[in-house]
Amino acid sequence: MDSRILNEVRELVKPHSPQYCYQCAKCTSACTATKVIPEYKPHLIVALTRLGSVKGLMESGIIWACTECWKCSEYCPQDVAPVEVVIALKNLSIAMGYKPPEDLKVMAKNVVELGYVSPPIEVLSKEFEMYGREALSLPELVKPYVSEGTPTNLKKLLGGVYE
Amino acid sequence: MSKFLLFLGCTIPTKQYSYEISVRNVLPKLGVELVDFPESGCCGFPLKGLNKKAWIYMSARLLSLASKKGLPILALCNGCDTSLRKIKDLLMHDKDLREEMAKLLSNEGVKLDINAKVYHTLEVLHDFVGVERIKSLVQRPLKGIKVASYPGCHMLRPSDIPRPEDPVEPRKYDSVIKALGAEVGYYPDKGGCCGATLLPYSAKHALLIVASKLKTIKEYGFSAVSTSCPYCMEMIDAKQDAARSEVGDEDISIPVFYLTQLVGIAMGLKPKELGLNLNVSPVEGVLDRLGVSLYE
Repeated sequence: MDSRILNEVRELVKPHSPQYCYQCAKCTSACTATKVIPEYKPHLIVALTRLGSVKGLMESGIIWACTECWKCSEYCPQDVAPVEVVIALKNLSIAMGYKPPEDLKVMAKNVVELGYVSPPIEVLSKEFEMYGREALSLPELVKPYVSEGTPTNLKKLLGGVYE
Repeated sequence: MSKFLLFLGCTIPTKQYSYEISVRNVLPKLGVELVDFPESGCCGFPLKGLNKKAWIYMSARLLSLASKKGLPILALCNGCDTSLRKIKDLLMHDKDLREEMAKLLSNEGVKLDINAKVYHTLEVLHDFVGVERIKSLVQRPLKGIKVASYPGCHMLRPSDIPRPEDPVEPRKYDSVIKALGAEVGYYPDKGGCCGATLLPYSAKHALLIVASKLKTIKEYGFSAVSTSCPYCMEMIDAKQDAARSEVGDEDISIPVFYLTQLVGIAMGLKPKELGLNLNVSPVEGVLDRLGVSLYE
């Protein structure tokens, strides 16, 4: 048993307590993702995390199937917060060089460069016309960062994840 | 008069324009003053899987900017609402984290201050404006329309921080809908998830979640759905066609409205003042029954 992963996860999920999981699987019975992707099982992810055996979870990318609905955390009698364990594993997998889903990289790049997950787009109306903010008389969307310090900080925190 | 910083987040000002339009047109008519917050931007919630500190930093930044302005934040998006409240709670209880964030923020000339209060659209409608006041302003009651409220995950969970709604037995949403003259009711898993976060991993499985939610709502006899979250809207309004073809069920079709759109319809506002021409789902059906033309 390798406790290094569990210790790193514990640090990331403070004040929750993944070390107290007793495998009741209430989280899995509540899980939104499990209902459509049966091989995704939060209680097993917590068990593997406690054993330090997370390579398979990171290689397969199954941790990215979590819908982050937080139901597992509500149902858990031990304050394990499996959703936060999964978020911690996502963070660790990236630090270890595994790739996140492509769309998340695009979102991160946009947040750094534009301040939003996407640039403002034109949408199709029921009259089959395209509308953007200006045509809808909405105020122009400005880049929210008042100082270059914000994107610089963000880049440092995110590392090269979106490259 | 209550005054709030209008915090739009990401999805609303770049894509879900009907929410912004309806909020800007409806809330001031209910005595709510909105102050633009152009230096806000992303709350960091979508970044948490990539780097949790990046999430914490972005929300700490927003709370600090708002605290400096001395106004409470009105968060329109469930994700933003959760994010700000969760990070506020984390920072309140973790001195080391506070110091780390204060240092990062000082690089951009911002002083860490997490005192700003955070409210969601539903709270502003229910707790500040109040059901009685809304009821008194209804000119076009939504009679005969049975609306399924769809609060969305992050209006309710996590529940170890203060939430806009009761996480176990959400009631505020339905009382606002009832005040508009519409019917409300029970359906299983009302606090369930729209599947939006699953999209980058598997669009197919996210659509299965949408299909199953909408099917349940129809089976329970509802004629419309209402949400107050742009991510839920994006899934249950805009992805009905895709969900229908994914499961091959022609029955998956139901009008979906933002809560502020329903309030605006009942108050007699024009559909374009509520951005209703931008909803993707078949909202015309409900408008016809109320004698309202989408193009008036």
